[in-house]
Amino acid sequence: MNAEFTTGGIAFMVCAWGAITGLCAFCFYKVFKKK
Amino acid sequence: MANNRENWGSKLGVILAVAGSAVGLGNFLRFPVQAATNGGGAFIIPYLIAFVFLGIPLAWIEWTLGRYAGYHNYGTSPSTYHVIFRKKKPWAKYLGSLGLLPPIFIIFYYGFIQSWILAFAFYSATGTLMDVVAQGPEKMTEFFGNYIMLKTCVGGIPVAIIFFLITFIANMVVLSFGVRKGIERANKICMPILLILGLVLVARVLTLPGIGKGLAFMWNPDFSQLASPKIWMAAAGQVFFTMSLGMAIIFCYASYLKPKEDLVLSSLTASATNGFAEVIIGGTVVIPMAVLVAGANIEECAKLGTFGLGFQTMPYVFGTLPFGGFLQTVWFAMLFFAGITSAISIIQPLISFCEDDLKFTRKKSVTTISTITFIGSLTAIFGLAAGTVDELDFWGGTYLIVFVGMIQAILFSFVLGRRNAKEAQANGDLPAEVNVELGENEAFAAMNDGSQLKLPRFLRPIIMYVCPIYLIVLLISFTATDGLPFITLSNVNPNDTVQLLGHTFSKIGFTWAFRGFLLVLFLLLNLAIAYAWRKGGPAEKGRSKKIKKMEIGNSDSTEEA
Repeated sequence: MNAEFTTGGIAFMVCAWGAITGLCAFCFYKVFKKK
Repeated sequence: MANNRENWGSKLGVILAVAGSAVGLGNFLRFPVQAATNGGGAFIIPYLIAFVFLGIPLAWIEWTLGRYAGYHNYGTSPSTYHVIFRKKKPWAKYLGSLGLLPPIFIIFYYGFIQSWILAFAFYSATGTLMDVVAQGPEKMTEFFGNYIMLKTCVGGIPVAIIFFLITFIANMVVLSFGVRKGIERANKICMPILLILGLVLVARVLTLPGIGKGLAFMWNPDFSQLASPKIWMAAAGQVFFTMSLGMAIIFCYASYLKPKEDLVLSSLTASATNGFAEVIIGGTVVIPMAVLVAGANIEECAKLGTFGLGFQTMPYVFGTLPFGGFLQTVWFAMLFFAGITSAISIIQPLISFCEDDLKFTRKKSVTTISTITFIGSLTAIFGLAAGTVDELDFWGGTYLIVFVGMIQAILFSFVLGRRNAKEAQANGDLPAEVNVELGENEAFAAMNDGSQLKLPRFLRPIIMYVCPIYLIVLLISFTATDGLPFITLSNVNPNDTVQLLGHTFSKIGFTWAFRGFLLVLFLLLNLAIAYAWRKGGPAEKGRSKKIKKMEIGNSDSTEEA
């Protein structure tokens, strides 16, 4: 429980956040883009 | 097949409505609890895999079946299953009745819980909660316990009842305005506010000194635990719950899509929005903060469960920070906006059943469902300590949604997926306006109809085979592990008793009696279906002319028509 935030943990969090934010950005870009 | 039902006003409207339904207590409370009790960082990997291979495909399936229902002017599973089997299998509509049980059972307790949030938002904004926090965590637990057990009164009336009535009326008022003016408008207002409040909390948490230890618990990956089937099952269950799958909600909402409205992109966008709220807001706020305060006791803390964490731990944790009252209010306001968009989505399939199958007017539908919901909610309000909410949550919010999801996946893959779309158009199963490629099957023709983003072909085997197999394995393993002990009550001590309205009952006897009540509801629902589909019955007629049809706006517009 007292483990420090490891480099692997930071990388994992950033990748997960990046993936879900990227998916959201892609989807909303397509939604708002005019045909 | 002329469509005379309501439609969504805009693409953004339906996306926010589905996302609003999905983003709820599951994202901000259930997800962190699941993660904390299943190894923290170890949980995230199976969760993301389940999101991709189970959640997103099943959402596409449910949207498509909903659109299929809308083609035939229905919005719920009994009539739609009947139509899918070309009205030749009398049992199909009764099988579809299972799809309406989750919203019935869930709304019986969800409205009550939603009212707790409103009450605690009020207590936060007025400073009452800060006064309680100042007296220590035990006092916080006592305050919450007294509130939900109806011991906190004003003028002899339990405050919980007053807040329940306010919440109940607010939900029904929104729904009485219909799909576009009620549900869509509420989501367009609530969802942006909810996301902004969530991001305010994320920003505050990430700037706390020492938050690295909390984030480490949540995000340091632990590959050694991936061999545990329990973690995989918990992750799949969480994806199911958080995305509102198998609850008849997406099914019903998708039935209001306009002709030629995109489905693949809308579904993916709603899923991604839900994932954002869960992974970034849910995964950052609750557990990392609780770790800071509870330290080595975090797993014990998580065992308090969703409500203990949300209504006891979090107000206490926020209350210990500078501007604690403000943060508490932001927390409960966020939960309230999440709750109201979810609650209205749970009720709408029941209103759709009244409007589209029984051909009630909207006023009569809302009145009927209000009455049933109100009576059902009393079982949760007064039977909370006796375990009624646990029963409703197990059957409606856990077991049946996986079962219904499995039926939907099988219908999509092995019934619609096996029928030629051109032949379906010739039979009148698919509208003539649907563009159908040569050799295409009915399932994917309906999914890709009007699509702005066509489903890539390599995803088809995942939807057709991986998703149904995933669901069957999930259902069997859940039944074998957690399901059977709960169903058979083998984990209940025969001498245990429960209290209801001042009377003492055997826990086992009371639980079976309550299950009998749920069974009666199931039988009454099937009687209503039989009445709707009797010879010359209302289900085959068009939608009631008394229900005003909204004009169809510009599908591509993101503005309200």
